[in-house]
Order: sequence, then structure tokens, then C-alpha cells
Amino acid sequence: MAPLCLLLVCATALSPAQAAPEGGAASAIRALEHEWAEGQSSRDNRALDLIFDNALVYVEYGRLVTKGDYLSRVKVAEPSASQVVMEAMTVRMFGDTAITVGTYYEKGLSGNKTHPKRWRFVDTWVFERGRWMLVAAAAAPLTNG
Amino acid sequence: MRTLILAILLVFAGTLAGDAQREPDSGSKIAALENVWNQAAQAKDLKALSALLDDAFIYVDPDGKMLTKSEVLADVQASHGIQVSSEDMVVHFHGDTAIVTGIYRTRGVDHGKPFVRLDRFVDTWHYMNGGWKSIASLATPLGP
Repeated sequence: MAPLCLLLVCATALSPAQAAPEGGAASAIRALEHEWAEGQSSRDNRALDLIFDNALVYVEYGRLVTKGDYLSRVKVAEPSASQVVMEAMTVRMFGDTAITVGTYYEKGLSGNKTHPKRWRFVDTWVFERGRWMLVAAAAAPLTNG
Repeated sequence: MRTLILAILLVFAGTLAGDAQREPDSGSKIAALENVWNQAAQAKDLKALSALLDDAFIYVDPDGKMLTKSEVLADVQASHGIQVSSEDMVVHFHGDTAIVTGIYRTRGVDHGKPFVRLDRFVDTWHYMNGGWKSIASLATPLGP
């Protein structure tokens, strides 16, 4: 979802799921999306480790990144140079699998100027060993937004 | 002829999908479905394509645009001479869910000019009602 080295500001809008009615699981997944964002901004690798499945596949800027790669980079990340603002998010339930789709925008800082860029993300969560785990995440740049 | 070939591929893929619960770790089954998907898109075989996608399927294209299943089918119907192939596919299973990563190589002609485009994709498949269905897909420009 969100790239590294980011200070996160969450302003999520809620909207209904389409594959199945949203319930407690969907709320839990929304909370996990925010925990992920907060864990990343505070470089809390322990929190992220609990959210990410060991086989997580993450596509960041078109590159394939493993859980180990991701956590290593979070650990050595420089203080925040940009912000990510979460926007609308939907959760679609398929039994023990959930798909979250949403958008966020990234305000990158270069000198004194900001360079906003919007992304649309798709995350896949699976309920395993008694909890929801993130197993896949990817984002594509919004070229008309 | 292409329709016949696709029909055979679909039967083959359907047979594989039917075995999925017995052999849930077989990535070749999902890879076969991915290839059927590419063939169906190229041949504009909307029936075959529809059979692969769950009704709640969503797709995010490399421009960040979100499309529903019906919008994807309409897009395929309107496409011209697009050739798609998948490379470097890797499948991860999580119970009745499979995650596929790989690279799409798309060839076509845009305003008279041939192009080749590479995108990284992440597809999510879910085993339901005796078969595998794609429930989500995202493609994004290939990174450095």
C-alpha cells in the first residue's frame, strides 16, 4: 500500500463491500490497514511483522518486494520526507479471504516543494491461524487523478 | 478454430481446478488458468473470459483505473490486435486462495504505431463452488 519513509495521515472514507456484506471481519481488516500505515510511519517492525504473512508479495513502484526486503527497508528508513493520505477504501469478503481496494495520495517533498501523486491499491488478506494476515499488496499510479 | 482451442483449454483448466482441493499446492493449475485468460483476451472469447472471473471481480489497470468484470469484458471486446503473454509467474497458495505475480508483456498497435509494454501484475484467485475464480487483479508499470 504505502511506500517507505512516509509520515501517514489517515482520513479514510467508509463505503460498503460488494462481494458480501461487511461485518466484523471487514472492520478488523480496515483497522489492520491503519495499523499497517501507523506501523510503517513509526518504523514499528514488530507490528508490521504481525500483520504481514511470511509469504507476502508486495509490489512497490512496480518492483516485487518480499516481507524481509520490506521490513529491512523500514528499519533503516530515514525520517519522513513525505506524507500518505488514505482515501476511500472498500472491503470485499470471500469467505476467509478479503480484498481491499482504495486510493491514497502521496505528498513527496523535494526541497520546499511537494509533489502529490495518487495511487490505487489492491490488498489481499487471508484469515489463517486465527487472525487476518496480509498476503499480497500492490498499487498502480492514478494517471488521471 | 481459436474458440475450439480455447474450449479445450478451458475443459483442461476446469479439470485441473476441480482437483485443486486435493492438490492445493500445484501452481501449474493456476498458471494454466492464467494462460487461458491471456488466450481468451486475445481471441475476444468473452464467454471463456467470463468463466474465469468472479462476478465481484475487480481490476486495476496500469493507469490506476478500476474496472468491474463487465467493464473488463467490454474493454476486451473493444480491443484491437492485442497480444498478451505472462512471464516469470510465481504462485503462492494460502488455503483456498492463490496469489499470482508475474509480468505482462502486451504487444499491439496504437494509432498506427506498434508498441510493447511491460507491466507487473498481482492476481488473486479463490477456490469456490468447485473451481478457481479470479477475484482481483492489479497491473502496474514495471519498476526499475
